Amino acid sequence: MTSPSVELKNARTELLSRFSSGDVSETFQENYSEIVDHYFRRSVQESQAGSLLFRDKKPFALVALGGYGRRDLCIHSDIDVLILFDSRVPSSAKKLAEDLFYPLWNLGLDLGHGMRGIKDCLTLASENLEALTAMMDARFICGESPLYLTLVERLDKKVLRKMALTFSRWLEEQNQMRMAVFGDASSLLEPNLKEGIGGLRDYHHLLWLAKAFFHLRTPKDLEYSGILSHREYADLENHLRFIHLVRNHLHQGSARKNDRLTFDYQERIARALSFKDQDGLLAVEQFLGQLHASMASIKSLHRSFVFTHSPGSRRHDIGSGHSESLTAAFHMDQGEIHFSSATAILSDPLLVMDIFLEGVNAGRPLSLESKRLVREFLYLVDDPFRTSERAARGFLSILKAPNAFEALDQMLETGFLCAFIPELEPVQDRVQFDHYHLFPVGRHLLQTVRHLKTLHQEKDILLADIFLDLPDPAPLFLAALFHDIGKTGKDHAAKGAVLVRNILKRFGYDRKKMEGVCFLVHHHLLLAETATRRDLNDEKIVVQCAERVGTIERLKMLYLLSWADGRATGPRAWNDWIANLVLELFFKILHILERGELATPDASRRMRQSMQQVRSHIGARLSPADQERLFDVMPPNYLIETGPRAIAQHSALYAGLQDTRAKGLDSAFCLESEAEPSSGTYEVTFLAKDRAGLFSDVAGVLALNNINILSARIYTWRDGTAVDIFTVTPPVDPIRTEEIWKKIKRDLAETFQGTLPLSERLQQKAEPSLLSRKKILTRQTRVIVDNESSDFFTLIEVFTDDRIGLLYQITHTLFALGIDIRVAKIATKGDLVADVFYVLDLEGQKVLEREKVEKIRDVLLQVLSTN
Amino acid sequence: MKKVEAIIKPFKLDDVKEGLSALGVKGLTVTEVKGFGRQRGHREVYRGAEYQVDFVSKIKIEVVMEDELVSDAVHVLQEKAKTGQIGDGKIFILPVENAIRIRTGETGKDAI
Repeated sequence: MTSPSVELKNARTELLSRFSSGDVSETFQENYSEIVDHYFRRSVQESQAGSLLFRDKKPFALVALGGYGRRDLCIHSDIDVLILFDSRVPSSAKKLAEDLFYPLWNLGLDLGHGMRGIKDCLTLASENLEALTAMMDARFICGESPLYLTLVERLDKKVLRKMALTFSRWLEEQNQMRMAVFGDASSLLEPNLKEGIGGLRDYHHLLWLAKAFFHLRTPKDLEYSGILSHREYADLENHLRFIHLVRNHLHQGSARKNDRLTFDYQERIARALSFKDQDGLLAVEQFLGQLHASMASIKSLHRSFVFTHSPGSRRHDIGSGHSESLTAAFHMDQGEIHFSSATAILSDPLLVMDIFLEGVNAGRPLSLESKRLVREFLYLVDDPFRTSERAARGFLSILKAPNAFEALDQMLETGFLCAFIPELEPVQDRVQFDHYHLFPVGRHLLQTVRHLKTLHQEKDILLADIFLDLPDPAPLFLAALFHDIGKTGKDHAAKGAVLVRNILKRFGYDRKKMEGVCFLVHHHLLLAETATRRDLNDEKIVVQCAERVGTIERLKMLYLLSWADGRATGPRAWNDWIANLVLELFFKILHILERGELATPDASRRMRQSMQQVRSHIGARLSPADQERLFDVMPPNYLIETGPRAIAQHSALYAGLQDTRAKGLDSAFCLESEAEPSSGTYEVTFLAKDRAGLFSDVAGVLALNNINILSARIYTWRDGTAVDIFTVTPPVDPIRTEEIWKKIKRDLAETFQGTLPLSERLQQKAEPSLLSRKKILTRQTRVIVDNESSDFFTLIEVFTDDRIGLLYQITHTLFALGIDIRVAKIATKGDLVADVFYVLDLEGQKVLEREKVEKIRDVLLQVLSTN
Repeated sequence: MKKVEAIIKPFKLDDVKEGLSALGVKGLTVTEVKGFGRQRGHREVYRGAEYQVDFVSKIKIEVVMEDELVSDAVHVLQEKAKTGQIGDGKIFILPVENAIRIRTGETGKDAI
């Protein structure tokens, strides 16, 4: 006959292989416990030391403790066992322990063992509550059963009854510690199956509390004693079976006692449990969805139980147990909201919504019984319920309340949320199998709301400041709750916007605000995506964002939503690094919207109209794709300030310039002049590859040829093409105009090639006329350097008297100071000039240093007044 | 062997990654970093309160490669990460004594 340990080894191996083949899946723990029980019974029988002890009237009992006591042995669980004596442990017991325990160590099993008299056990239990819990699960294996019964009886009388309160407080502390260390397993993507909130430990706590306060013996007594309903108990059993099954697979896969279900095991276990990819959901996502649902259910049962039955719980701190009537339909009892009558729900199903509102208003949770009733009556939540005005009103009030998160949490837990908003059903347990999202979608949505509700506690006070500026935050909360509702496939934001529209229509929600919510859902990723993937120094990118957002109020809501969404997703989705970028974008858009030039609805409309007309001007000359590329290159202020006919003309010149440049002529330019008979002026268009000093050269050549610049707009397109448009006085000699324009072109070419010393020639030209045309400056010249008006450029404004060559003087001075002019607006009114230059330094940065700003102002003033 | 480190603008990462892969660079390490150079952080005022952003968010990439690849890699980095504006970043080239692949124990260029 084989020895007990060989028998154990073989039986365990066989059980494991049957488990691997899927033969024993749900009864593994019981089977394994039986095998171990059998080992101990045989070992005790066959142990000589054991027989001697009985013969010497030193009887003992073998007692299973902890998980082994509960018959919950998973593959690598510890086996906790106690050799129990009446009083003192005899010295000969050591040999017995060797007989029983050594073989187990040799098999590599994790063993927790003890040898104690009853009294020592009780002392230990009252000093060490963890030891107490192990003993509360004690189960007799073999030996002298009266010893075991005495231990159980005295544990109950001498320890538990005296220490019940301490014990339940200790459990509560343990819970807080578990929450801090292991988190809420029912919504974490790498849950701890045992210690996480919603894990097996929740069930153990529930059991221990029931044993301490209701003197239950077995789990089944939870139902017999009426603590749980038949359905609740059946559900509990199912959930526990599933979690134990997962735990066994995890132990097997990691070949050790491991309770943290990390990503690397999840796919394998999902396959082992026969989950299949379907309906666009990965097997592993469905697996985690089911696991989370089970854990959420256990968590909820545990919470309700603790709240209702534990003497150390909050309930007992609130009121004296007197029932307080809230309305005819509800009353408050020991800090929880109850339905006054279950039958009332039948005649008025909307009470199911009202009770959550009542809870939110009172700041109190629903009682276990109330939640039970909500679950039972979910079938009453039908279409008339969902479309009723009262339900919508109730729901919106709940969402507005400060503790909306707690109410939504209970709604989700009872299934009411998905019954009322069926669009949430397909996404609520949806898990995204990546390292990015910490929570399944349903929890994520609620977490997003929670972050918004608690944003005043954040260190970053800007969030609260922005929130307080919102005239009505309701659309923000709705968007937070629904932003991922389209997550059943690709393009979830657009899909979500459609779904949200349906939901809000059903609610009879205000049309205009509805558009706001749909917008937020549709664009909830806009800020984060733009901030991380696009160039925030590119004004056009930011202007396009601003156009999409449209209003400051929407921008503020979008920013808060981006923040809350990111926070609720996880630390990889939101950290200082991303926050920095999103904040930068937020302010840039805010400033554009505040100034209201480039991205107002009106400006956007004008820009669209203009582009439409340009398209018809250009016609078939360019393919639609090329046209779009062209528009993309044009900066927003150019598009707004330039007429469609001119844009079309510039496009043609631009195409010509591109061709010439493609031939390797980098200094190529084009210049066109056209008479404006009505005003007696000329319009000059100049295009070339931009460089610092270019504008100054053009202004200089015009001055050299006695052409006075009346107004000018200069732009730098996004590919670095300078486009300058001047309104100028006609050439002095009306007969030789053609010739003069030709000369100007020649002078420009020579200047660019460096063969024409522009500065010198202008000086020579100015000298004689200084005497003849010297006039007293009538106005004081003013120069303003402004860094506030634009996030992208420094603005330099110059007000002074007009004179030929003035623009050259200014632009040449700026060039010499290392300033690059990107945009300029030159206007002349009478003989007063008002020039605005949008500039950057040669590194492409705004000019921010105070010394440099002062220098620009001083030098310009000096140059302009020493005329 | 050299290590090439580059600090670049976040939105340039994809371009740089593609460019380096096309060169035959087999792997790179990417880190989200914050700091400042000549492009400083910025100060914002909202409703009278000031919000100072001290550091600029950037991406740091690190690649170890054989010496022959370095000049091409630097060229690609310069081309792909450039916007012509402030804050385009910097490239650092460091000598590397050795590399060891943990799994196989291979060393030197076999390990990169």
